[in-house]
Amino acid sequence: MPKTPSSTPAIELRAVSRRFADPGGRTVGVHPTSLSVPQGEIHGIIGFSGAGKSTLLRLVNLLERPDAGEVIVHGNTLTRLSAAGLRQARHRIGMIFQHFNLLHNQTVADNVALPMRIAGADPARIRERVQVCLDFVGLAEKADVYPGRLSGGQKQRVAIARALAPEPHVLLADEPTSALDPRTTLDLLGVLADANRRFGVTILLVSHEMEVIRRLCHRVSVMEGGRIVEQLDIADGRIPEGSQLASWLSDFGAVGPAASPSPTTRPDEAAAPHHFALEAAHA
Amino acid sequence: MLETLIELAPEILKATGETLLMLAICLSAAVVIGGALGLLVFLTSRGQSLERFRAFNLIANGVINVVRSFPFIILLVAISPFTRVIAGTSIGPLAASVPLSIAAIFYFARLIEQTLRDLPRGVIEAAEAMGASPLQIIRHVLLVEARSGLVLAVTVLAVSFLSYSAVAGVVGGGGIGDLAIRYGYYRFQTDVMVITIVLLIILVQSVQFFGQWAARRVDKR
Repeated sequence: MPKTPSSTPAIELRAVSRRFADPGGRTVGVHPTSLSVPQGEIHGIIGFSGAGKSTLLRLVNLLERPDAGEVIVHGNTLTRLSAAGLRQARHRIGMIFQHFNLLHNQTVADNVALPMRIAGADPARIRERVQVCLDFVGLAEKADVYPGRLSGGQKQRVAIARALAPEPHVLLADEPTSALDPRTTLDLLGVLADANRRFGVTILLVSHEMEVIRRLCHRVSVMEGGRIVEQLDIADGRIPEGSQLASWLSDFGAVGPAASPSPTTRPDEAAAPHHFALEAAHA
Repeated sequence: MLETLIELAPEILKATGETLLMLAICLSAAVVIGGALGLLVFLTSRGQSLERFRAFNLIANGVINVVRSFPFIILLVAISPFTRVIAGTSIGPLAASVPLSIAAIFYFARLIEQTLRDLPRGVIEAAEAMGASPLQIIRHVLLVEARSGLVLAVTVLAVSFLSYSAVAGVVGGGGIGDLAIRYGYYRFQTDVMVITIVLLIILVQSVQFFGQWAARRVDKR
């Protein structure tokens, strides 16, 4: 049965697994796990430290090679590609990181241009995209500044502009706000939501901060011990009662050891019982 | 002392020229060949993008360590048959440049590899996630982010091999070291010894000063 482009999931992981020994000698990683993210969705992955969230995310662009299973991005089976084919496919998969990973010896504009230079884009086109993407993240006037002179939030905006420059189908976000304060986090979530709306880019985001997931994501996968144990629809910002996630929130107040204080709560949700638990824990 | 200086001025100029020639040859060889070797050793190390060529890494590491184990004067003598093949002679500054280059290549390879190891892994990973090939990672990430470290590595190399080139004087290699040995040591002319040492100090100071200035200029971190 032929699939129309819109019915092709943006990201599909089929029974992928990846195991390795952590520094303490324990085997960690991802057990055979499947995940399908439709085009245009913002999908969150949440879980405690060591649950395999980041490994799962890094399997999507094969920064981690799965031991078994298939990775399909935008209809392209990455696990079957040659090294050159994989590089080609990665040109259209953006990624942002907790620690931004910008080049400190290059200006903001050159950082944003980097993925397009790597992809061999035409210089005029690169200039145009750098301008558009820096405008989009509100840093057009910082084009000639070096990243060392930017705040953390500004650095992450540059990283988002850099990821969006080659017009990716998919944006992978690995704890993108975990190094930022709550207000900056909120601003940045706005930028990511905008990118999703304006450019239709599918976002897969890993975070241990419940507020980040709740504010941004349409759906969330809950991970524990290297497996997705639950998938929830949270497009309305509510966490279904009786879910694993809701019970974690009432037990721990948050998921993860270093959840930062929640940004201002949306008033329409303050009444939900699990949110009381979350706010109480931060009070 | 002043008379000695005037009397020996032509010799001193010639010796300085020879020293600079030896330095130019061995530094060029080290930067081009040693630099490439250092990059390859780094890229084939664990967790880097050419990790699948770990065999190369192990062999190259071994060879680098072996060459670096040789006291320079022993290396100089040991490879003299090879030097004769390359330079046509085993005396003079050109001949001395052969062992100097070999020592410098492996010394610089190690310096480069260690400089690159200091780069944060995340920046290289970000480039890999963009679909960068190993060559693109070298050009767009390693040479850009490590550039001030690389300038300092060349500085250390230049200073070390300025003094190595003086050792070449022992076997008639020419240069400032040769002058020091022939006049200062064999003929007990202390004033010549002092002049050559002052000359070497001036050279080392200028190389170090210029290297640090250049490293600061290219560092935007």
